[in-house]
Amino acid sequence: MALPPSLRANITPAELELIASEQLVEIIPLVAMERTAFISGAYGPLRPPTKCKIPIWMATNLKLKKKCHIVPPDWLNVEFLQERLARETSEPDFSELPFRFSEVAKVLLDVAPDDIPNPDKVRSLLKDIREARQAKSREGLAKLDHSELRLPNLCAMEINEIRPFFVRAMSVLTQLVREPRQG
Amino acid sequence: MAFHWLPDDNLAGPSFIDRARLAPDDDDFDFDFPVRDDFAPAVLPQAVAEETSLQRLVRHWMNERHAPDILPGQEALLGSMLDHVRKQVSTVAVLLGSVVGRILAGGVGWTLGVSDDVQLLRADPDSSEDEHFRIMLVQTEVERVKFVIRSYIRTRLHKIEKYARYISATPAMHERLSKAELEHAQRYARLVEYHFDQCVLQSLPPEQRSLEDNMAFMPPMVPEPDRLRPVFAHALEKCPPVHLPDGSPMEMEKGQISLTPYYVVEQLLARGEVELV
Repeated sequence: MALPPSLRANITPAELELIASEQLVEIIPLVAMERTAFISGAYGPLRPPTKCKIPIWMATNLKLKKKCHIVPPDWLNVEFLQERLARETSEPDFSELPFRFSEVAKVLLDVAPDDIPNPDKVRSLLKDIREARQAKSREGLAKLDHSELRLPNLCAMEINEIRPFFVRAMSVLTQLVREPRQG
Repeated sequence: MAFHWLPDDNLAGPSFIDRARLAPDDDDFDFDFPVRDDFAPAVLPQAVAEETSLQRLVRHWMNERHAPDILPGQEALLGSMLDHVRKQVSTVAVLLGSVVGRILAGGVGWTLGVSDDVQLLRADPDSSEDEHFRIMLVQTEVERVKFVIRSYIRTRLHKIEKYARYISATPAMHERLSKAELEHAQRYARLVEYHFDQCVLQSLPPEQRSLEDNMAFMPPMVPEPDRLRPVFAHALEKCPPVHLPDGSPMEMEKGQISLTPYYVVEQLLARGEVELV
């Protein structure tokens, strides 16, 4: 019953998605629902067409049954992402993005492409941003030493991606520093 | 049906639907949950978001998953989450009762002998589709929370079994485990030792039977948590300075993310000033 071996080394993207789905998103409901108490808090009442904030998992659930429209968060649009991509490619630092942006963007693009204006463009921008940032985190590996590495503005999914390699590399560096003292 | 889970105080009060309906406006209506006060009040959505108990659980779950060592068990939190899950399940039972009740209405008898609640709900002229949604959403959330609780416990179980012999030999570890966990660790350690002994050790010469030899250049026979393993720490607030392995001090600003060996941030993590991501 202990944790299966495949989950021991790292968090899976699906688990990150589960965590990100607790965040709130605005929806325009198409069904009415009374205010209901959930474990994470009380949500509702849903009264079409008044906007309401509910967790993403609930919104995807309703969306898949065509019971709501999702209002994309203010960073999930072509203008914002274009500006971020320009910054990402011109500046050496990681630009500021919501910590769980890639999970949220993926979920919303998957279930509600019709609620996001120009979803294909948004998708390709997200991909470009991801690649630009990935290149930077690879460069960051050169700065790795045995004591500390600062990663400002790095996001959950990116950390998860670089974790196995960075952790191992740092462990090796730690051993290299430690060995002489022991001997 | 899970009606026997319904605690008395819940049965005594007005029904779930009635309360929702009679609740003043949309502000948080009191649902008499035992852990009610961790909910961020709906009146002040702009105020600094208080961490709900679910968010706390997720944070501890992630910490446990990333930390190489076993962290102090969150028994009180787990207990309150399980209470919460139970309450939600009984809410679903009541709601389901109302739906089933309506279907059966006009039929002969409804002799579940439950409560006036169900009777009240049966009389409710509300559309059943609305209720189906709430049942489905409440159940979905219960499953999500159960997943997190299970994963948290299984992560601890994995570490407990891995370090069972170290735990039973180190009293300092005992207070981090719950009673059941500690018992399991000790039993597991005994079992493994007995197994080794039966299979191999008893046929060896006595001087080679020890399970605690420390040979040079060999990993120890009793595996210990590797506190040198690097972790990604995310500062939740401004942290007091800590010492890095190279001797320099590090002061983490709020929101800063650093990759650093576990023992550096161990104290900060115990005080909840950083989380592992």
